[in-house]
Amino acid sequence: MNKRLRSDLLLLGGLAAVGLALFALLSLGRDDGVQVLVRVDGVVTQRFSLSEPRSYTIQTRDEGVNELRIDDGAVWLESANCPDCLCVKQGKIRYAGESIICLPHGVVVELSGQDELALDAVTQ
Amino acid sequence: MKRLMCFALSLLLLTGCASAPAGQRAAAAELEADVSSTRHVEAMDTIMALSAYGSNREKALDAAEAEILRLDALLSTGKPDSEVSELNRTGTVTLSEDSKKLVNCAFSLHEETDGAFDVTVYPLMQLWGFPEKEYHLPTQEELADALARVGMDRLRLEGDTLSLDEGQEIDLGGIGKGYTSQRVMEVYRQAGVTSGLVSLGGNVQCLGTKPDGSLWRVGIQDPWKTEGEIAAVVEVEDQAVITSGGYERYFVDESTGETYCHILDPKTGWPVKSGLASVSIVSPDGMLADGLSTSLYILGLEGATQFWRDHSEQFQAIFIDNQGQIFVTEGLKDAVQADAGFTVIPQSEKSAG
Ligand SMILES: [Zn+2]
Repeated sequence: MNKRLRSDLLLLGGLAAVGLALFALLSLGRDDGVQVLVRVDGVVTQRFSLSEPRSYTIQTRDEGVNELRIDDGAVWLESANCPDCLCVKQGKIRYAGESIICLPHGVVVELSGQDELALDAVTQ
Repeated sequence: MKRLMCFALSLLLLTGCASAPAGQRAAAAELEADVSSTRHVEAMDTIMALSAYGSNREKALDAAEAEILRLDALLSTGKPDSEVSELNRTGTVTLSEDSKKLVNCAFSLHEETDGAFDVTVYPLMQLWGFPEKEYHLPTQEELADALARVGMDRLRLEGDTLSLDEGQEIDLGGIGKGYTSQRVMEVYRQAGVTSGLVSLGGNVQCLGTKPDGSLWRVGIQDPWKTEGEIAAVVEVEDQAVITSGGYERYFVDESTGETYCHILDPKTGWPVKSGLASVSIVSPDGMLADGLSTSLYILGLEGATQFWRDHSEQFQAIFIDNQGQIFVTEGLKDAVQADAGFTVIPQSEKSAG
């Protein structure tokens, strides 16, 4: 094998390795870990992926209803029949470690997962 | 690449765990060192999230919840029987231990910020309609009338007795949440908790590190996005991280399209336009961080920078200006991550070049 061919092969091999690493990085991207957990009175009643858009109606005690939406990498409560609707006002969350709370209905929507972007809190 | 390594590492750890024998070495308490409980409390017009680690966590959370409700009852302007309401109604009050600390802190902040921090702006807040969210663009006469009742220099503190001047009203809310998060940390410590976090509607304070020794990661809200997106992350240990920004509450005058934010300049009575979108203060003292986040927002980047240079042993800060540029004081230069990058504000003016 001549020197030129060997260096070309090395270069190709190197490129392939970088390509594979990139592919792995993208496919392991931030969607892999982040899960939407719905808790009612402390019990996990539903588990969704943050990467799949959907609507879901959370049924709670005393005919409580919270409408959950997942879209565009975020989750939020679109409407609720609780007295103050503080849960709806909390808006969207998108990072592992964040949560939305509806105290009157005993509902907690939390994002969990091993995301390197995970946060312990957000200051606003 | 980091993500891949994390993934590989966690696989290793997982297999490691699975093959490890169930050790008897750890006492029950140590086993629970990385177990956390979370509690949510509705108080001070917001939802508070408290979490604590370790075997004393439930006891600590009970005590913290009780402390929050006690302080809310003491400081609320919305509760007619609170100490603050009594003062605003009768014009004079004998301060409790907590109120005394808050009032003393308010006086020193007022002095150090050259009047930017002022707990007597409440009549102005009411004039603009911010407390009730029934907004009103005041006339010059209305403003002049309200301004005449504003000014901490007209309060009288004699011993434990605080008296208001004619027409004055105070609101300790500008440092109340910071004081509360500070108290929660003390309550945690007394209960034997060494690792915990509290978020009082976006005012964050943490105790120690996470149980594995890693730093707490606190996101700083992106001022222009209501979609829960963050502009930066700061990693901290034993610190309060408290943000103020005009985006938190504002109204738009429909006839002119002009925006008016809820942070008022106590000297002019007008909503502040200082060129800053938000100010985040990082300090072990939650009460100070709370008061400074609003005051430095009023001072603007230049004034705030000077203030930090004179007080840098007490706090660090992250400023986001109206162009979206992020400025970070030197002490945080290794603690902040921001996709858009940031400019470090050096301690010494000379090295700024
Ligand atoms: Zn609700």
